[in-house]
Amino acid sequence: MFEEASEVFDNMFKSSFPLTFIVFIPAVLILVSPLPAEAAHEFTVYRMQQYDLQGQPYGTRNAILNTEARTVEAEVLSRRCVIMRLVDFSYERYQKALRQSAGAVVIILPKNMSTMPQDIVQFMELEPEMLATETIVPVYFALEDDELLSIYTQTLTSSSSQGSSSAAEVLIHTATANGFQMVTSGAQSKAVSDWAITSLEGRLAGTGGEDLPTIVLVAHYDSFGVAPWLSYGADSNGSGVSMLLELARLFSRLYTYKRTHAGYNLLFFVSGGGKFNYQGTKRWLEDNLDHTDSSLLQDNVAFVLCLDTLGNGDSLHLHVSKPPKEGTAQYALLKELETVASNQYPEVKFSMVHKKINLADDTLAWEHERFGIRRLPAFTLSHLNSHREVQRSSIMDVRPHVDLRKLSRNTKLIAESLARVIYNLTEKGAPGDLQIFTEQMMQEEQLSSVVDWLTAQPRAAQLVDKDSSVVSTLEYHLGRYLKDVRRHYVKADKRDPEFVFYDQLKQTMNAYRVKPAIFDLLLAFCIAAYLGVIYLSIQKVVERLYAKSP
Amino acid sequence: MLASNINVTVRLSAPMLLKLVGGFASVGLPGNMTLFHFGNCFALAYFPYFITYKCSGLSEYNAFWRCVQAGATYLFVQLCKMLFLATFFPTWEGGAGVYDFVGEFMKATVDLADLLGLHLVMSRNAGKGEYKIMVAAMGWATAELVMSRCIPLWVGARGIEFDWKYIQMSFDSNISLVHYIAMAAVVWMFTRYDLPKSFRLPVTVLLGLCVYKAFLMELFVHVFLLGSWTALLVKAVLTGSISLCSLFLFVTLVHSN
Repeated sequence: MFEEASEVFDNMFKSSFPLTFIVFIPAVLILVSPLPAEAAHEFTVYRMQQYDLQGQPYGTRNAILNTEARTVEAEVLSRRCVIMRLVDFSYERYQKALRQSAGAVVIILPKNMSTMPQDIVQFMELEPEMLATETIVPVYFALEDDELLSIYTQTLTSSSSQGSSSAAEVLIHTATANGFQMVTSGAQSKAVSDWAITSLEGRLAGTGGEDLPTIVLVAHYDSFGVAPWLSYGADSNGSGVSMLLELARLFSRLYTYKRTHAGYNLLFFVSGGGKFNYQGTKRWLEDNLDHTDSSLLQDNVAFVLCLDTLGNGDSLHLHVSKPPKEGTAQYALLKELETVASNQYPEVKFSMVHKKINLADDTLAWEHERFGIRRLPAFTLSHLNSHREVQRSSIMDVRPHVDLRKLSRNTKLIAESLARVIYNLTEKGAPGDLQIFTEQMMQEEQLSSVVDWLTAQPRAAQLVDKDSSVVSTLEYHLGRYLKDVRRHYVKADKRDPEFVFYDQLKQTMNAYRVKPAIFDLLLAFCIAAYLGVIYLSIQKVVERLYAKSP
Repeated sequence: MLASNINVTVRLSAPMLLKLVGGFASVGLPGNMTLFHFGNCFALAYFPYFITYKCSGLSEYNAFWRCVQAGATYLFVQLCKMLFLATFFPTWEGGAGVYDFVGEFMKATVDLADLLGLHLVMSRNAGKGEYKIMVAAMGWATAELVMSRCIPLWVGARGIEFDWKYIQMSFDSNISLVHYIAMAAVVWMFTRYDLPKSFRLPVTVLLGLCVYKAFLMELFVHVFLLGSWTALLVKAVLTGSISLCSLFLFVTLVHSN
C-alpha cells in the first residue's frame, strides 16, 4: 500500500505544482504548531513577597513552576508542587516540604477567612517566619473555589494511598485516578528597575507672623503581608491614613475662620514605603533637611505625631524614643492626651511606652524613629503595644479588623488633644471634659467610606506606583483640605539600593489533568489486544464471505 | 523542474521532521507520554482501516487512487451540504434547554446527500458488487477520518491535559467505518434493478436508519441523558445491528443470483 501511496504522491508532484503547496505547507504548519492550552482549571495565584532590603534578600526567589501536584501526606515530595489548605497548614509541614526540596508550595486560603479565628491567629504568627529566610522554592497563595477544592481532594486521595496498596489496586488506581500538573504562565521574576515610591505632603499655614512652630502629622499608606497582592492592611495602616485625612478635614475647617485660626503650622505627610523601613519618610527628611535651604522641618518643629494602627482595641500607647522633657510641646501633648483620655473616654487605657532607638537592628521599629534619628521630637500613637506584633504585617488584616466606632473614638480623642495643644487650652483654664468638636463635626460616614475604599485594593509598596489610583485619590483628598499638596518620589540608589522589588507577583496557574506514565503503556497494551481481536475477526468474516461466494 | 525541486525538498525535510518528532518524544515525561497518547489514539483509529484495506483484497486491485477519488467526492458532498445548511436553515434562537426536534430532523434529512454521493462513487467504478462497495466505503470513511478526527486528535491528544474523549473519538471512527460499509452496501442494493420485491421494504428501512442514525443518537442522548461511554455503546450496538441486517440481506442477494 505504501508503494501505491508514494506513486500517487509522485504523480501529484509531477503534475501540478500548486497542489503540493496546498497539501504540504498546511501539513508542515500543523506539525510545528504550538500546543494550545486547555486546562482542567485555571486560577489566579499570588506569589509570596520577594524583595531585598538594605542588601538582604527576603522571601521566595522563584516564580515559574511546572510540576505535578501532591499533598503533604505523600511520601515523595521532591520536585513536586505541594498543595496545602490553610486549615492543615503548620510550620512543620511547610518545613518538611522545603527540606524534601519540593518544587513549589501552593497554599489554599478559604473564601471566608473570618470563620476560623484559630487558624488565622496561627497563620499570622507564621507569616514573618516564612518571610524571614530566603527560599528558592516559589510559594503561592490561591483563593479557594469549588474546582480547586475538588482538585485538592483528588490529589489528597491519590497522595495518601501511594504507599499502601497491592498491585491490583495500583493498576486500577492508575486507570481511574487523575493526577494534576500545575503550570504557571508567566516568566521568571526579575528586579523592577526604577520603581518610585510616592509620598504626599500638604500643609495648613498658621497665623500670626513668621517662624511659627510646626506640628507634623504622619501616616504611611502602604500595607504588608506575606503576599503583596493579598495585603489589604485595614488596621495597619488604613486606619492611620483615614484618621489623618479626617484630622486634615477638621483642622482645615477650623483654620478657615479667623477666630479659630491658630498659631501653629500643620504639616501632613502621607508616606509610602512605610513597611520597608520607612523609605518615604527617610528620603523626605533628607531632602527637606539636607538639600533645601528653607523648609518647615528645619525651623521650629514642635513635634511629629505618627499614626500607626489605631482602628481597634481599647488602649492607646504613645511610643517614644526619649521621654519628653517638661515644658516642651511634646510634653504638652502627652499631658493633653492623658487628660482627654481620662476625662472624656474612660474606657481607653492610655500609656507611654519608652523604647530607645536601636540602630543595630535590621529595621527601625516605629516611624517616629526616623525623625528621632534627625533629632526631631517625635512619637507614634498606636493601639499596639509593640512594633513586633504580627497584626502589623499580615494578609489577614482585612476590613473586619477595623472597628469603626473605636476608630472614630480614637480620632476624636486625638483631635481634641491636638486642639488643646494648639489653642493652649489647659493654660487658659479649660476643663478636662470640654468638647471642642461637636457631634456634627465628626463625620463617621466619611471615615467609614475612606476605610472601605482603602481596604478595597491591595496597597503593597510594590503595587502602588506613581500613576496608581491610590496615590491620585489621596492627592485629590488632601488637595480638598490642604494647601501646597506635593508629591515626593523615592527611587532606590543605583549602586547601593536600599530596597529592590521584584515582579511576577500575580500569576495565572493552570491545573492540567494528567495520567501517570504506566497508564499510557496499559492503554497501548489494551489497544494492541483490541486490534488483534479485530484483525482476527475481520479475517474470519472475509474467509467466510469468500468461501460462501461462488 | 520546479516541481521536482519541491519533491527533493520535501524528501530531504522528512528526516528533519522525524527528528522534530523524536525531539518531542525525548522532552520530558509529560511531553513524551502525551505524544505516546496521541500515537495510541491514532493507532486505535487508523489500524482497523488499514486491516480492512488489506484483508478485503482491495490492494490486489490497485484501488488506492479510486479510494482517494471517493474521498474527494466525500469532501465535495460535505461542502455542498454545509452550503445548503447555511443558506436554508437559520440559527436556532430558542431556549437553551429545549431541543429543536423538527429543526434537527430537517438537518438530518440533508444527510441524504451522503447517499447520493456514495451512489455516484459506486456508479463510476466498474467491477463486482463487493469491490464497488468496499472502495466507496473505504474512501469515504478514510476521508471522514482525516477531516474530522485527525486534526482534533493531533491538536488535543498531544496536549498535557488528558481527556477520555480522544479514546472515544477513535472508537467512534471504528464504528463509522462499519457504518459506512453498511451504508454503501444498502445503497448498492437499493439501486440494483434485480432486487426482489420482498427486499424492497427492508432495504428502504435500513436506508432510512442509516441516514437518521446520527439524529436518533442525539435524541437518545438528550432524552435519556446518557453519559459519553454509554452513548458510545448505544451507537456501537445500533451500528452493529444495522450492519448485520445489511450483511445478511447482501449475502442473501448475492447468493440468490
